[in-house]
Amino acid sequence: MGMVGRRVVAGLLILSGLLTLGYLGISSYIAEQLVYETPKPIVSTPANLGLRFASVTVPSRDDHISLKGWFIPGVLPDGRLTVERMIIVVHGTRTNRESPGDHLLQLTGALAHNGLGVLSFDMRGMGESPPAPLSMGNLEQRDVLGAVDFLRTGTPPFPELGRPRVIGGLGISMGAATLLLAAAREPAIQAVVSDSAYADAAPLLEREIPKRSVAVVGRIPGAFAPSALAMARILYGVDLFDARPIGSIAKIAPRPLLLIHGAADDYVPVSNFQQLAAAATSPAKARVTTWLVPKTRHAQAFKNTGAVYVARVTAFFDAALASAGTGA
Amino acid sequence: MNVPRALQPLVALIGLAILLLALTTIAEAVSARAGFLVERQIVLLVWLAGLVLAGAVFAWIARRSWRRDDSPSSLWLMTLTMLALASPLALTLLQHPAH
Repeated sequence: MGMVGRRVVAGLLILSGLLTLGYLGISSYIAEQLVYETPKPIVSTPANLGLRFASVTVPSRDDHISLKGWFIPGVLPDGRLTVERMIIVVHGTRTNRESPGDHLLQLTGALAHNGLGVLSFDMRGMGESPPAPLSMGNLEQRDVLGAVDFLRTGTPPFPELGRPRVIGGLGISMGAATLLLAAAREPAIQAVVSDSAYADAAPLLEREIPKRSVAVVGRIPGAFAPSALAMARILYGVDLFDARPIGSIAKIAPRPLLLIHGAADDYVPVSNFQQLAAAATSPAKARVTTWLVPKTRHAQAFKNTGAVYVARVTAFFDAALASAGTGA
Repeated sequence: MNVPRALQPLVALIGLAILLLALTTIAEAVSARAGFLVERQIVLLVWLAGLVLAGAVFAWIARRSWRRDDSPSSLWLMTLTMLALASPLALTLLQHPAH
């Protein structure tokens, strides 16, 4: 090992140093791109659907982020308004409470027209709510819990209608996963509809990250996925490995749970639905209903089935919340 | 304590890794109290600047050590340092090959 050996080792040392530094740097940049996105503006409101509503500010639980939302009383067949049964509607990732991609505002309106009051809001970092990192439900569950607190103890936007008697929840995609995490912790959520939830966010992200393209870097090589997730935790306190509804869904029992999933979902594969259903039904007292919607892609069940979806969901809430106590 | 010159790069590498872990722990404690760190651009810039600074410190120590000690033991210690530096990246690439 003479001068040549020394030069080879020196060269390898420089190379490994540069590669490690570059890898950490690029991973950090990808993490930043992964957890932050420019909020999408809201174009329509429930007024476009002929509904009365109030714009509200809902503080998240624990960290008190001021979330922007709509409080929409349900409309009874005789035209009277009601807030007796309130549904917290939780949108998916990188969208807002209007969510045109999955027609969430139309679904919200349909629930209200069927006598269910709705509290829909923009999760942190999305829509009109303040900037915050995306955590795939891990931090956002505080937003859902804040919505529960708002309904139970906040200033009622329609004081003449009183306070809700019972609270349910409906979530789409990441909103569904977030709702499952929140409902496992909060017994006041007395019935849950989960549409297109994932069982565990980390494998989903590790698979999806290489399909994404970020500014400067372009398409992300798969090798950066685990380090980008780790960097999101180190730099932004976002533990994407801990967004696992599969770990807590069993705690929702004995409260009624309706799991919906598109049979042709290629974003959150049907295996997630099967895993969640298996875990949810594991307690003896579980009350779980499943609906695998044929020929339906991710979060498109309402868009594809329309009135059938509304009929199923409202029938579920009618039965589930009628039997629920006055815990809200 | 007088660290042998040939060992200095490895000691510097371990020291920088410990410093990184300590800073991370502090950042997590701050994040836990504040909810999260909102100023994302600042977080990223500070982190990238820290990486470059750490890289420069390590390069300076390694270069100084390399020039002043040309013994066979220094070569082996430098090889060990190189492996320590490359191992996290190599392990990641082996587990998650680029698509």
